[in-house]
Amino acid sequence: MRLRAQGLVKMFPGVRALDGVNLDLRPGTVHALLGENGAGKSTLIKVLTGVHRPDAGVVEVSEDDATWAPVTFGKPQDATAAGIGVVHQERNLVPRFSVAENIALQSMPRRHGVVDKSAMRALASRCLQQLDLHLDLNRPVAELSVAQMQLVEVAKALATDSRVLLLDEPTSTLTSQEADRLYAVVRRLRDDGACVVLVTHKLDEVFAIADTVTVLRDGRSVAEGRALSELSRSDVIDLMVGRSFADLQPDPTPPKDRSGIAALELAHVSTSVGHEDVSLTVHPGEIVGLYGLVGAGRSELARALLGLDDITSGSVLIRGQEARIRSVADALHRYGMGYVSENRKEEGVFLEQPVTRNVAVTVWRRLSAWGMVRDRSESVLLDTYVDRLGIRISGHKQLAGQLSGGNQQKISLAKWLAADCSILVIDEPTVGIDVRTKASFHTLIAELAAKGLAILLITSDLPEMVTLADRILVMHDRQLAGEVDNVAHDYAASSRQVVRYMHAEHVA
Amino acid sequence: MTSTTETAAVATQPRRSRLLGTEVILIAISVIAFVVLTVTTGGNLLQPGTIRAILQYLAVPLVIGLSQMVVLAVGQMNLSVGVLTGLSSVVAAGLMVDSGLSPWIAVPAALLVGAGVGLANGVLVVLTRINGFIVTLATMTIIAGLRYGVNGTGTYEGYSPGLVKLGRASVLGLPVVFLIALVVAIAVALYFRNTFSGRRLLASGGNPVAARLSGISNDRSLVVAHTISGLLAGIAGVLVLMLSGSVNASIGDDLLLPSFAAPIIGGVVLAGGVVSVLGTCLAAFVVRLVDVAQAQYNINPRWVDLVVGGVVLGAVLLSHGREGKDDS
Repeated sequence: MRLRAQGLVKMFPGVRALDGVNLDLRPGTVHALLGENGAGKSTLIKVLTGVHRPDAGVVEVSEDDATWAPVTFGKPQDATAAGIGVVHQERNLVPRFSVAENIALQSMPRRHGVVDKSAMRALASRCLQQLDLHLDLNRPVAELSVAQMQLVEVAKALATDSRVLLLDEPTSTLTSQEADRLYAVVRRLRDDGACVVLVTHKLDEVFAIADTVTVLRDGRSVAEGRALSELSRSDVIDLMVGRSFADLQPDPTPPKDRSGIAALELAHVSTSVGHEDVSLTVHPGEIVGLYGLVGAGRSELARALLGLDDITSGSVLIRGQEARIRSVADALHRYGMGYVSENRKEEGVFLEQPVTRNVAVTVWRRLSAWGMVRDRSESVLLDTYVDRLGIRISGHKQLAGQLSGGNQQKISLAKWLAADCSILVIDEPTVGIDVRTKASFHTLIAELAAKGLAILLITSDLPEMVTLADRILVMHDRQLAGEVDNVAHDYAASSRQVVRYMHAEHVA
Repeated sequence: MTSTTETAAVATQPRRSRLLGTEVILIAISVIAFVVLTVTTGGNLLQPGTIRAILQYLAVPLVIGLSQMVVLAVGQMNLSVGVLTGLSSVVAAGLMVDSGLSPWIAVPAALLVGAGVGLANGVLVVLTRINGFIVTLATMTIIAGLRYGVNGTGTYEGYSPGLVKLGRASVLGLPVVFLIALVVAIAVALYFRNTFSGRRLLASGGNPVAARLSGISNDRSLVVAHTISGLLAGIAGVLVLMLSGSVNASIGDDLLLPSFAAPIIGGVVLAGGVVSVLGTCLAAFVVRLVDVAQAQYNINPRWVDLVVGGVVLGAVLLSHGREGKDDS
């Protein structure tokens, strides 16, 4: 079965996640799907597996390359029925069920309304055989290794007769031997005539196993099914990060004064969530960027810094003083450090509370007298930031949930400014925000730094990072892999260097 | 100006925006039901005695509904409110009858019992990390037993004639117990509207992650909510003492459903973060009217439970239906 998609568009409020994507998946190939964070890979997978409906564009299948039949997926089951299987990055197995039950979960054989156990086992063992795997069918999945679970997921996709198999970052949790084993399975499936789509960040794996590649950038496909034999590694990197540099060339900023005491310093910090020996400094007025793949451990580092996870060794110095931060309240009240969180809807704002309360939440203590907070004092506070940040609200009583994403994010930032923070950790400030608001956010963050705030900026948006940061630290697998001096804000140079650091272990 | 931001604004429909709607609907229902009842009973409802009785026996459901509402605000439930009301009243009665203490000591003791058990509920929830539903299910069972420990199945009578007299007295035509409940309701409303602590509770209930990331201790919010809930159950216990003149260990058994009915019908969000004192009070009044209708038409009392249960289910379904649209 050959599957192709043309002109796929998917809009979310404020963003075009897919903006004209073409894809051609031929049987008997391994097809790599590449792109930086936010390029649209996840959205594309969700469209192909029936989670999202595209706003425009067609998906078609053909058995003979001559007659094409359009397919539409209203729900994930439709995609499964059409022969598209997916192995998500996160596990989707039922831990207490046996290997056989998990494999047959979506296509459970039934007889007279009850599960036909022998047919179920036959199905499971056929799928495992196809993968040349030997696992005890009766074992609960919870007892398997991570790599074995991964293979069970693949077997599960085969049980529904998938002929297009999407693997999303399949090796991110595997050792290299385990990954090799998985790729042996992938080759086997390809030789049996399936199309395996590999979504990964590991370029050496791409070159080792994939035949063709589609590269997404800003929701568009910039390379469509090109043969990898014609491309070099640096061609691929250029395709991933390349942009029209003209509109992305901010003025160089003068080097920041780094001679005084750092506002925030991490010295050889290890955490309970796996970071090892992380050292960094942020000086007043400086924007230090933390770049890396999703899952590299950037937000986790921020959370450990704020006392939400444990720092197991090393020290955190705030304005030269050793700090012990056990909660966000500590960070805020004792050290003047705020955290503008990544996910504003879930972590940043109180959707059902008026905007006034959302801005004042960090300073209720200061605003209150005898335990009472006056609405007036909250309103006065809000007005300051409405002007300063250009927040668009219809009135003081408007609920945060009625604001647009950009305005919610501004509210989320305002509450930390209200608390007079001198250090801000800003995590993914502009995800899902339209271009114009994004630009105003960038101006805002630069202004805050100019006023002397020390900012640790986490973003997966490379242009944003290059635009804002004075220095970019690249995090890879919970360690710092390198530092890029970005004072020139030279997009072409900085982004290449960043991407090289990200793939450091693979580059000779 | 920018059309993209406008569409984003439409995407999320906060649940609170329809609270006002709920309150308006409840006022309409109250008025219509009252008028219908008045007309069909030939004006019987407008007798001063009848009105007084309606309001008198509204006091306890109202306070107990608020008691439940406070824990719902932080996304918890308190199954022990009913039996705690019973325990508080039995303890106070015991102190007066058995120990001969004055109501000036017995009443504060009842409040202390309520707040103390509430505090224990809160601390247990925080320390064990077990869902409040389970914790209070356990404490409910324990308290139900404790009530009988005070005086077995016996009945306390003849305690503090002054207290009972006050319970039957009226000021400006309104029963004192009802006025007490009203004062409690206003205090709870002010607490959520204007205090630092009340705001923290709503923040914790509405979005615990955001609350924690804004420097609010959710654990503290849970303990405070359960303590206030217990205190309100203690107040309800005192109201029971004042109203009845005799109490026994079975008091409170029939208060659990009304405690949930009032806030849920009143538009309080089960998941936490949104409260409505007005809605809860109005809903308690509507439920009270069902009781009145039962008495006036001489209906089998079991029908009342059926109607109230049905209305609760309907209210939850309605709010679910409206929420469900967001994530379809």
